[in-house]
Amino acid sequence: MSRSFRVYQKKRGHRRTGSGKLGRVGEILFFATFLLFGCVGLVVILVALVIPEWRANHEFVETICTVRSKELGQTQGEDGTLYRPEIGIEYAIDGGPHFAKTYDMCGSYSSDRAANQAILAQFDVGRQYPCWYDPLDHDVVVLARGYTWWLWLTFVVPISFLLLGGGGLLYRTMRWGRSAEHLAATARSANSRDGVDSNGSSRNGFPNVPVGTELTNSPGTRLRFRLPISAAGTWVLIGALVACGFWNGIVSVFVVKLGRDFMAGRPQWWLMLFMVPFVVAGIGLIVFFVRQVLIATGIGPTLVEISDHPLRPGRTYRLFVSQAGRLRMNSLVVQLVCDEHVRYRQGTDTRTETRRVHRQEIHGRKDFAIRLGEPWAMECDFSVPPGGMHSFKSENNEVRWSLEVQGDVAGWPDFKRAFPVIVYPDDPTERALA
Amino acid sequence: MNEPVVLIRLDDNGRVYRPGETLSGEYRVESLPADEVKAIELSVLWYTEGKGNEDMAVHEFKRLARDDGDWIELQRPSRFSTILPASPLSYDGVILKINWCVRVRVFPRQGKEVLGELPFVLGDVHGAEAVPP
Repeated sequence: MSRSFRVYQKKRGHRRTGSGKLGRVGEILFFATFLLFGCVGLVVILVALVIPEWRANHEFVETICTVRSKELGQTQGEDGTLYRPEIGIEYAIDGGPHFAKTYDMCGSYSSDRAANQAILAQFDVGRQYPCWYDPLDHDVVVLARGYTWWLWLTFVVPISFLLLGGGGLLYRTMRWGRSAEHLAATARSANSRDGVDSNGSSRNGFPNVPVGTELTNSPGTRLRFRLPISAAGTWVLIGALVACGFWNGIVSVFVVKLGRDFMAGRPQWWLMLFMVPFVVAGIGLIVFFVRQVLIATGIGPTLVEISDHPLRPGRTYRLFVSQAGRLRMNSLVVQLVCDEHVRYRQGTDTRTETRRVHRQEIHGRKDFAIRLGEPWAMECDFSVPPGGMHSFKSENNEVRWSLEVQGDVAGWPDFKRAFPVIVYPDDPTERALA
Repeated sequence: MNEPVVLIRLDDNGRVYRPGETLSGEYRVESLPADEVKAIELSVLWYTEGKGNEDMAVHEFKRLARDDGDWIELQRPSRFSTILPASPLSYDGVILKINWCVRVRVFPRQGKEVLGELPFVLGDVHGAEAVPP
């Protein structure tokens, strides 16, 4: 035997080297167990709690009883003593006397002693009150009817199990015995029924090419469209703020404690030494955050306008770029770039990787100043390379085109602003006509 | 007994196809009696290859299954034809590749599935190389 039989082996992304059939059986068993637990839990709650309360409200027969005793029943719970009202009553059915200690059908204990005593106070020993007994078992009797509100909360657990198990089982069963192509074809049919492309966008005649309507809904002042800036910079700023606040918030608790100890003459040198790398990392995050704030607020807005959109490989377009602010620029470069962006699983982590595959400088200028109220501006032609890949987007893989403005500012953090564009596939016939 | 095998042939084998053109060809299954076949699936599809998780989409899918009352003929080659879509075009990138192929999957009554696959190129996109960011 050249290779030993392995039931379950190392996983690389979606690719497993173990037995696929065994894996599917395992998944079905997993979901079936959840479903079973859900069913059993639901039945137990119904039989033990819900049905008895419903019967007490609808089927029990009303009669008169005399209260003979009353006391606060006690039991020891995990968090202390629990209480319930226990009222001894005497009642007659068909002339035969019956005795019972009861209050309601649920008979549950609670930690609220005062509430239970208030219930007891409603009943006087020796007085008569209405009660309801079970016609099937005359010894089962209650002094109060109604439904217990928290009873409905208990349904959350078995119903969650039922949904998880049932949903998973249904999903797995529907996929059972179907090839990857069959499943993909079924998904495509469902998407086309919904008028949605397989990449989640509406149809534009180019499957898996983003439509990019959000890129053309803003008219330009010099050229046809003003392109929106990529939201990535904003997310970096928000991420930096959250990371900075979270990290330094935790570190500051320890630093304050160490500072107080130091001031009180009880310095904890080893702990202070241990905290040094954490404090350094916190300062690094603050520097990064401040740098992002400076880039976002200190450098004026960048405007990019384009003569047409979406773009096509091999065609030429007019471009207008303006940069506002009060800056001494070492250099400013406008370029057309294309990136491959992929997402993959590594163990239990999801990772992304981006690789630049095209960079074309459209305009570059060195050593100049931008004055406040007099934005720097330039207008020029640029071409998308013939034979270049079109924009592409699927679940885990993407080809992104964008116009980038990179600035090297004297005495200020460098900045890079991206303006996504969509490149449609080349059409030689259309190109000839154009 | 020989292992069952699926043979696929394209009418314009080796040619680069353009979006909107018709892709046609035939397939046949050898060394497997027709009455032992439960179902056959023909797909024209693209899939990604590279560092990212694989994505796949089927452009054309046809399933013949005895349970659905379909007649499965293995004596003669079975023909197929489809109009190719406008995208995605075949692409040979750095960490992402997009491959098109015709895939035939045969489900025997007993034993493992038999798979046949023939790649083809859609569009004329140049290969990419990594450049510094």
